[in-house]
Amino acid sequence: MTAVIEVRDLTKRYKDTLALDAVSFDVEKDTIYGFLGRNGAGKTTAMSILTAQNFATSGSVRVFGEHPYENARVLSRICFVRESQKYPDDATARHALAAARLFFPHWDQDLAERLVDEFQLPMRTRIKKLSRGQLSAVGVIIGLASRAEITFFDEPYLGLDAVARQIFYDRLLADYAEHPRTILLSSHLIDEVANLVERVLVIDRGRIIMDETTEDALQKATNLVGDAAAIDAFLRGREVIHRESLGRVSSVTFVGGLTAAERGEASAAGLELAPVSLQQLIVRSTQHATHAPASEKEEVAS
Amino acid sequence: MSAVASSPQRHNRILNVVRLQFINKVTYIWMPLLVLGASWVISILIFAMIPLDGPKYGGGAQAPLWAFMAVGIQAMTMSFPFSQAMSLTRREFYLGTLAAASVTGVMLSTVFVVIGLIEKATDGFGVNGYFAYLPAVWASGWWAAWITYFVITMFLFVIGFWSATIFKRWGTLAVTLVLTGLGLILVGVVFLITRLEAWPATWTWLVETGPLGLALWAVPAIALMALGSYVTLRRAVA
Repeated sequence: MTAVIEVRDLTKRYKDTLALDAVSFDVEKDTIYGFLGRNGAGKTTAMSILTAQNFATSGSVRVFGEHPYENARVLSRICFVRESQKYPDDATARHALAAARLFFPHWDQDLAERLVDEFQLPMRTRIKKLSRGQLSAVGVIIGLASRAEITFFDEPYLGLDAVARQIFYDRLLADYAEHPRTILLSSHLIDEVANLVERVLVIDRGRIIMDETTEDALQKATNLVGDAAAIDAFLRGREVIHRESLGRVSSVTFVGGLTAAERGEASAAGLELAPVSLQQLIVRSTQHATHAPASEKEEVAS
Repeated sequence: MSAVASSPQRHNRILNVVRLQFINKVTYIWMPLLVLGASWVISILIFAMIPLDGPKYGGGAQAPLWAFMAVGIQAMTMSFPFSQAMSLTRREFYLGTLAAASVTGVMLSTVFVVIGLIEKATDGFGVNGYFAYLPAVWASGWWAAWITYFVITMFLFVIGFWSATIFKRWGTLAVTLVLTGLGLILVGVVFLITRLEAWPATWTWLVETGPLGLALWAVPAIALMALGSYVTLRRAVA
């Protein structure tokens, strides 16, 4: 695999906070990454530095083997869709898309027009009068239709309803299948994007804590469903990540896999293996003693 | 070698920034023209009301120039973040934006000169009032008036743009400090002239140099400020 992005010891310090703490990772070509982490974990900062919109305190960043700062060769091949993108005051969505067409060499006008229809985006309304969801749609359309070799989506779905988000995920996958490229999708709707992302890059308090394929990540844990008492007998001191109960039935996720013998034992006890939730796995990995787990679950559920 | 290979593309990208800025047609075309037109109409109405037979001169033509300082501010605050989303380098954005401002400057200066020529031909719209045809500015001809107006336009644009960039990078306090600093320098110059008892010489110089000469003197000042803007922008975060 070839790395299109190489990050080494990247540190970003704001006045009193360390946003990125000596972070190192590679991003492989033609792969969809889930760039996951809590608010304030450093996702936006990292993406801003990778796209030369912000500056590193120390460390190095290479995109297509070069430094991206003031480098039109590199920048013309990437696209960064921000959650809080600002547009010129008078601009309508029509203007914004026309501008994007000027600057992104692989721009697909047909795709852009189809997406405008699907998101029902008003083209002649000033962008500052659009709803939050429509504003997000402008960014999503630019990000998809620009077909840049590396596209960064920073929580692009704010204000989009479930239907619109599904349109985004579907179109992203369909277009990616036809035109493979590298996509970094930052999100805290982890389960929603779990089926989409091939690799997960989890950042927590300025450090990368997980960098592996989604499949490998999910194999780190096991989820058993069945009689609560039977599961409890089965756990034998394993580290429980998540537990849900309804009456006598429990669903418990715990760290580690099962041996063949244990699988037999589980099915004999009437327990079923169920898919592990990536969200639960990551929430667990990024939970800190100072924060109540409950509030976190609410946030991701909303 | 790679710089040579990619230069045509860069060239295009800078031209496209001009087109990007002109998305704001209100900011770059209609607002300055409207201010110019409005101050013109108001000036004529006032001229017509003044019961004086001699030629009347007004300073209303400076109104759009001040408006253009606001354009400089908006070019930075509104278009810079979007230019970043369009994957432009700061350099491409800056050169394209200066080019866009020049286009508007050319437009405004041309309208100014055309108004002046009309005033000259119609004896001040029949009310002997002059909004654009100011003797000192036109002393060396219409082209001198054009250059003077254009230079002042760019001067104010660059000031507006630089102030906004300083604000983006360091906040309100920095802008205040810079403006206070400039004020202090100005007071220093006044003090020096007074101390050297050089006021008569200064006035003579100013009169002899005239608006065109002063405008030409302003060109290196603009170039310096433009460079300062660029250096400030290079590390600015949208």
